[in-house]
Amino acid sequence: MKSLAIVVRQDGYDNLLTPLAFGYLQGAEGTQVDMLFVNWAVKALTEEGAKGQVIQGEHADQDAWVRTQVEKAGLPADIYDLIQALKSTGNVNFYACSLAANIFGVNENNLIPEASGIVGASWFLNEKAAKADHCQYF
Amino acid sequence: MSDIKANSKLDTSGKCCPMPIVETNKAMKKISSGEVLEIIATDPGTLTDIPSWCERTGHTLMESGNCEGGFQFYVKKG
Repeated sequence: MKSLAIVVRQDGYDNLLTPLAFGYLQGAEGTQVDMLFVNWAVKALTEEGAKGQVIQGEHADQDAWVRTQVEKAGLPADIYDLIQALKSTGNVNFYACSLAANIFGVNENNLIPEASGIVGASWFLNEKAAKADHCQYF
Repeated sequence: MSDIKANSKLDTSGKCCPMPIVETNKAMKKISSGEVLEIIATDPGTLTDIPSWCERTGHTLMESGNCEGGFQFYVKKG
């Protein structure tokens, strides 16, 4: 696989783990990975939002335990640290969907420097998702 | 115990997907073509991930098997 596009729409610590782990795997292998964050997940592309991710709903009381397990597995337990680890592969790009950014309060001032920018969904779908060898939605 | 002499060793014991593959990629960048990396792992996912990674990336899985408490792989860099 030469390229992978991932659309992330669900926020929450546990919901972000799988797309980030997949992106990390492929980025480390040399695959070009492009990740678009939409809906609530766009907030993970701000420092405050990334650090504030918690497990929600019925598993909320297991947040601390999951973080310990993640750390034991060798991954950074903090979502922002994990984003930085993906970025360090040199093969992963993070994009914020412009509609989601507008709705959920993400802008150029609070966007993390690891993100490549706020982009239109049409551009991502046509230039990244449609041209990628594989596309995933989380 | 294998007779293969490794040039470098990576111990991923205790770590789980994606870290064994992430760290294997990093370790392979540090050795030269023809050299051998020994990988120790405890994640059962590596039993499928490492052979398939070798096929995709042009490296050769010379030998694999169980070792004390986990799995052992010898990979020659392509």
